[in-house]
Amino acid sequence: MSLLLDLLFFMTAVTGTGIVLSRQPGRQVLAIAANGLVLSLLFTALQAPDVAFSELAVGTAAVPTLFLVVLISTRIDRTPRSEAKE
Amino acid sequence: MTPRARLLVFIGACACVLPAAVDVVMHMPAFGVHPLPYGDAVNRLGTAERHVTNMVSLVNFDVRGFDTLGEEFMLLCAVTGVTILLRGARGEQPTAEPGYAPGRPDVRRSAAVTAIGRVFAPLIVLFGFYVVLHAMTTPGGGFQGGVIMASGCLLIWMGDGYRSWRQMMRTEILDAAEGFGASLYAAAGLAPMVLGLPFLTNILPFGQPKDLLSGGLMLVLNAGVGFAVAGGFGVLFVEFLEETRAVPLGGGE
Repeated sequence: MSLLLDLLFFMTAVTGTGIVLSRQPGRQVLAIAANGLVLSLLFTALQAPDVAFSELAVGTAAVPTLFLVVLISTRIDRTPRSEAKE
Repeated sequence: MTPRARLLVFIGACACVLPAAVDVVMHMPAFGVHPLPYGDAVNRLGTAERHVTNMVSLVNFDVRGFDTLGEEFMLLCAVTGVTILLRGARGEQPTAEPGYAPGRPDVRRSAAVTAIGRVFAPLIVLFGFYVVLHAMTTPGGGFQGGVIMASGCLLIWMGDGYRSWRQMMRTEILDAAEGFGASLYAAAGLAPMVLGLPFLTNILPFGQPKDLLSGGLMLVLNAGVGFAVAGGFGVLFVEFLEETRAVPLGGGE
């Protein structure tokens, strides 16, 4: 159990550093999701399944999705596809 | 500021903060040892006093139920703010087509991706519903279940694309769920006051421990949170994803 916790703490530090060091926004979003996944595993190992649920749903799914949508929104061409093809 | 000067400022700041940080770390209780009595008290009293087995729900909906009311309205305010900002910028138009990234080829999704989305989205929404229902007995609750339900629908967005997903997310239902959930929480808090008891007094029968219908008034509060969070996150996703429509700023109406 202690080895598992040490491993998860180490992975939390590694994925957290990964967020800071990734410079490309698209990769940073995936780094946030990876960090959220490791955190939810850590919370499960620390017997806090309620918090793990929240972290998994918000930190791994909802927040990265919202960031991704913002990135899509900044790069998008606003002419409707049917008009653009004509 | 040059990178060199920035580094010097950083080192100076570290030199100021580090002794205090080390002092705090040295005086922290050992890992896993908590000196406060509250957690143990909640664990001891939860099942005896309120007949529930998930102590996190007990804390959220009974011990500090008033704080959760505040959190509920914080979520409502945040979602309202997002809606006002984003809906004002590009207008409503739920049928508008999605835009596309210039220069990127228009590749059709494979049938497998679409099938996985269509199979797993309903299953995940069902699982979220299960998590809301079992708040009093097993880990989870209205917030977690609500977010799982709203996020599960995103698989349709990934598998079938924006248009199918937007048709599925009925904004009027999501808005109603959000408002109904928050007002259900407030009304459940006010109901005991009609009987002359303090706000949020747990007046309903507590039921049997480990039973789905245990916890009394907490069940109503949990349902309120479930409605509000599922609707709130649904509205949030709709408002953000509508930013990817091929509609210029100003709504193009």
